Amino acid sequence: MSDEATVGDVIERALGAYEVLLAKGEAIEDEWSYVNDLATAWRDRLGAVTAARGAEAAAPGVSAAVDRACEEIGLIADPHRAIDWLSTFPQVVLVALGEKL
Amino acid sequence: MRFQDAAKDARAVVYAGIQADPLVARAAALLADATVAQRVLARAVMNGETTDPDAWRTTFPTLFGPDADPAQRERSEAILVASLEVADRGEQVRSQVRGALVEEITAQLLRRRSGPLVKRERRILFDGVPAEIHPYDVTVERPGGSAALDCKWGARGINADVLHQLDDARAHAADESQSLTVALVVYDAARSCKVRLARQTAPHAKTGLISLETLERLSG
Repeated sequence: MSDEATVGDVIERALGAYEVLLAKGEAIEDEWSYVNDLATAWRDRLGAVTAARGAEAAAPGVSAAVDRACEEIGLIADPHRAIDWLSTFPQVVLVALGEKL
Repeated sequence: MRFQDAAKDARAVVYAGIQADPLVARAAALLADATVAQRVLARAVMNGETTDPDAWRTTFPTLFGPDADPAQRERSEAILVASLEVADRGEQVRSQVRGALVEEITAQLLRRRSGPLVKRERRILFDGVPAEIHPYDVTVERPGGSAALDCKWGARGINADVLHQLDDARAHAADESQSLTVALVVYDAARSCKVRLARQTAPHAKTGLISLETLERLSG
């Protein structure tokens, strides 16, 4: 992806990868509610960034950063580690975008 | 209320070896004064699969890109190197190292204001109350105003057992007219911690929370 993407484009791609990660984390039945609450909280946070900055051009390097982060969570197979990343991945995306957590 | 060293059982001896690993102290020193973005970098790398440093530099353009603050770049590089060393330890060992790392960051920051009053792996004893099996990760043993802290790498580590242990200690201290501040130190975002805490029925209204974004509060 080029760096001509908007902040909204980048977050949309991140949320797509996040859904796949969520499905992996949901495999831990005892944590099903927690992982879904966690995902909702972070989707809301990323959604707020889209609402505020969605049409803005992503800064240089941001698109590649988020694609790389998406690639990283695609490597995660273990559901326990997926739950760790359900928290970590949105933080990485927000840092790339220069946002507070 | 009184404090004592935890028993040196087999688990404690093994874990003491992890705590004494020079990598733990080095990484903790870097992260104690790190920015939030640098702390997220460490969390990602230590949780990650990829061991290629350039891949992580690409993932964090605000730390390694052309517009990154030159004054922070050196620390970011050092954090990346240390984090990759942790990630390279294998899943079981790296999990232990990450836990020890949060404890060490906590202790280093607390020592800036409380010096030798900061202790590790201590039990807290109260008259007529059976001692807890698990020691407290970090304590500040100051007459008239002590503290007990439990340290977690991630929000998922917050559970009923630790919340009960912390709140019980606070309540028992109050029963003896003593002040004991209790808190969780979690190397994860506050947002994730709050989601985890919202699901807990164990008492925690009087338990403090220090998250990845607010570690500095331990020293100030």
